[in-house]
Amino acid sequence: MNEHQFGNKVRQALNRGLLGISDKVERRLQQARETALSRQRAERAPALVWADNVLGRFGGAWTTVTVYAVLSLALLAGGATGIYTWQQNQRIAELEEIDSQLLTDDLPIDAYLDRGFQNWLKKRSAEQ
Amino acid sequence: MKGVEKRAFKQAVFAVREQEAALDIVQDAMLRLAEKYGDRPDAELPLLFHRIMQNAIRDWFRRQKVRSLWTTLLSSLSSSREDEDQDPLETLEAADGSNREEAPGEQLERAQTLEIIDEEISRLPERQRQAFLMRYWEELDVAETARRMRCSEGSVKTHCSRAAHSLAAALKARGITL
Repeated sequence: MNEHQFGNKVRQALNRGLLGISDKVERRLQQARETALSRQRAERAPALVWADNVLGRFGGAWTTVTVYAVLSLALLAGGATGIYTWQQNQRIAELEEIDSQLLTDDLPIDAYLDRGFQNWLKKRSAEQ
Repeated sequence: MKGVEKRAFKQAVFAVREQEAALDIVQDAMLRLAEKYGDRPDAELPLLFHRIMQNAIRDWFRRQKVRSLWTTLLSSLSSSREDEDQDPLETLEAADGSNREEAPGEQLERAQTLEIIDEEISRLPERQRQAFLMRYWEELDVAETARRMRCSEGSVKTHCSRAAHSLAAALKARGITL
């Protein structure tokens, strides 16, 4: 009998042995399976699955912790970029407004640099 | 899971040689698989389950080692033993199926043969037993067995060959012919 034939004979014997497993053991196994299935991990959020797939394609062994960390950092970086862009736009808009007011005003620009004129304006506004 | 749980249980019994411990190991392995890897594709699950089982068996041996150390220390301190009067036969359960209607001689012989095969498989070195059972009981090919055991295909063949020879010799020595 060669190794393969012997292996097959042993398999048959082991399978026969499985039939002899007691009802008590079978019940415990069934119970364990049902408990395990009830605690089965819920499906992850699609974004995480996607990120895991993409990262897995590049790196291979990416853990869930890494995926969470990378996603958090990406969100933080995105938020910071958004705030910075918004602030820049606000500043440009303010400058544009001042420029247009200056350009459409009758008063020469030099007048704003004259300290005496500024004092007069303050005094005038205080009187009013 | 349903299809492999009995086989997993038997493999745990071969490793730890204790039915209750084997049940605990399979139960823990199932829970870990479901809780940690429940969202993995089905194709990955057998390999993951196998690795979890092997880790659980190793953990069990580690705990046994610590426990036996403490037991030795404590028993050396106390001289009286509470369980001295207990008869192990009192707590021994009848094997399932022992009351079926079948020729008693034939039934006994079959049960003894299976028991001897189980015993001799348990006696095989761990890696040889794993390789042999995966190849011939789970009917995995050499490549898949090597992947699960994290070794080369050559090693799988060597382990299988040695296991088959040792097992055949051991069974022959005990008068068992398959």
